[in-house]
Amino acid sequence: MKTEKKSVQIAAKPKVAFFDFASCEGCQLQITNLGEGLLDILGAIDVVEFREAISEKWDKDYDVVLIEGSIGDHHAEERLKKIRARAKVLIAYGACACTGGVNGMKNSFELDEIRASVYGKDYKLFDSTATKAVHQVVKVDYSINGCPIYAPELVEVLKCALRGLPYTVPDNPVCSECKLNENVCMYERGVSCLGPWTKAGCNSWCVNNGNICYGCRGEVKNPAKNANDVISKYNLKPELIKAKFDMYNKCKEADNNGNRK
Amino acid sequence: MNYHIIMKDEFDGFIKKLAKKMKVCAPVAKGHNNFAFEEVTSAGEIALSYIPTILPPKKYFMPQREKMLDFDLTEGKPKDAANLEAPEMAIFGVHTCDLAGIQCLNMVFSEKPRDYNYILRKEKIFIIGLECNGYCDGHASCALVGSHYPNGGYDLFFTDLGDKFILHVGTQKGEELVEKMGLAKASPADMSALDRVREGKKHAFQNEIGVDPKKLPEIFAKGMDSKVWKDLGERCVSCGNCTNVCPTCYCFDMADTINLDMKTGSRNRAWDSCQFETFASVAGGENFRHERAERQRHRFYRKFKYPLDKFYRSFCTGCGRCTRTCMAKINLKDTLKALAAEHK
Repeated sequence: MKTEKKSVQIAAKPKVAFFDFASCEGCQLQITNLGEGLLDILGAIDVVEFREAISEKWDKDYDVVLIEGSIGDHHAEERLKKIRARAKVLIAYGACACTGGVNGMKNSFELDEIRASVYGKDYKLFDSTATKAVHQVVKVDYSINGCPIYAPELVEVLKCALRGLPYTVPDNPVCSECKLNENVCMYERGVSCLGPWTKAGCNSWCVNNGNICYGCRGEVKNPAKNANDVISKYNLKPELIKAKFDMYNKCKEADNNGNRK
Repeated sequence: MNYHIIMKDEFDGFIKKLAKKMKVCAPVAKGHNNFAFEEVTSAGEIALSYIPTILPPKKYFMPQREKMLDFDLTEGKPKDAANLEAPEMAIFGVHTCDLAGIQCLNMVFSEKPRDYNYILRKEKIFIIGLECNGYCDGHASCALVGSHYPNGGYDLFFTDLGDKFILHVGTQKGEELVEKMGLAKASPADMSALDRVREGKKHAFQNEIGVDPKKLPEIFAKGMDSKVWKDLGERCVSCGNCTNVCPTCYCFDMADTINLDMKTGSRNRAWDSCQFETFASVAGGENFRHERAERQRHRFYRKFKYPLDKFYRSFCTGCGRCTRTCMAKINLKDTLKALAAEHK
């Protein structure tokens, strides 16, 4: 079994590197903001590259790399492939890396059209491709969905990676956790929320804090085929729900809903 | 016949005294006609008139997430220590539907192998029921399953008589509390007032689906292939809201979590739902209930058929929570009516 082999290969204190691509780097910030929890993580790993936190570089292989950001030009694709070649385990973290995130909105337009709108008439001087999630370019071993990542999930995934165990992103809707937290449903408040179609695993973080679910963790594998009842119960327009989903989920059109086996 | 009286103006003192002895939880308004059992320290915080809370009081008996044991792999032989924390507490204001729910869970978790975490908590929880003199709303179906009247399962039971509550003492623990609080015995006039409330309920509460509950087992026995399930399957979102809010759903998932030291960790359980696609999937990629229709059907059978065969009682308590919470307007009463209509 592949996973077992990985755990044997990982040294006692694995060399871990953090890289970022097209992103706001907010997920890195979540890690640096972990506080005391960060000390526990640093007790288990040896951080060898992390642009936002340290200036050191590493020229050998990596036991684990964490990739933030989506892939939006040829240079990024090449750079990602090189990192993958040097990494035993690759973790995509954050919505940009896992599902393309908000950067995927670029894919709603004709590429040249959007390039011209951003870079002006000389747009051809600036390389740009349709936005891709990391797994649409290289093999991804673990995913930590979300914008930003939910820090407790990062810790869980890291532990799985260090032990060579698989981690499965929960495939239940956010409602499943939201109900356990006994929040008043956003729909009861008269607000539309993407919880019923979005992958759980965030402990309904946003709703716990009075916000709606924006669908940042990606759509569940098998969403309700017929959402008309939900939509009619709460007087919603199907286009509204679809448009809300497009904010984070445009890249999924390039693969089967961001799911890999 | 052990009945006592507490005047409404003494009620705040009762809750305050009780809160000094132990944690007291009661229904609290959350806005948007939603309620939840939460800790209170005075009567003013309590919503005496409330529709069933978002989560039933089962959350105090089997918490949403619960640590079962700690383990330590440092030494050659793994060590483990069971986590059996059960603080003393009181739940005030439990409606009869939820009392019925707790009775169902008691039966399930007392079966061998016994669930010690559940049983220990149950022993420490003082239950104070509260009668519904009328319907909470149109989603309830308590008269169908006969849970609109008290049927045990409480230490004390409150019925509102206008300017006072009449209390029925259900247990020794309840008796002791009433004595300590120095509550007066109910007078014959109070007893007739209680009778009038109960008499009024006979008219106010009527079988909500117009189908004899005695016929339900037969209807379900014949209903496996009903098109009702297909219809539910087409609408269901698989969010698991219906089972999470159900007072008698008790399925859980258990997992071990290791700490970052990679030596110590814990075994935890959390509520699971038969409505999730992963629930009945097994190694090799098989799934016993792959379709939403099968999963919804399973939920109904787990309320109206299987527990009747096993425990001789309905595991639907008529609280109506599943209907209220359903994103897709799946309605328990309508489903039962449609199923019964097929077998006329």
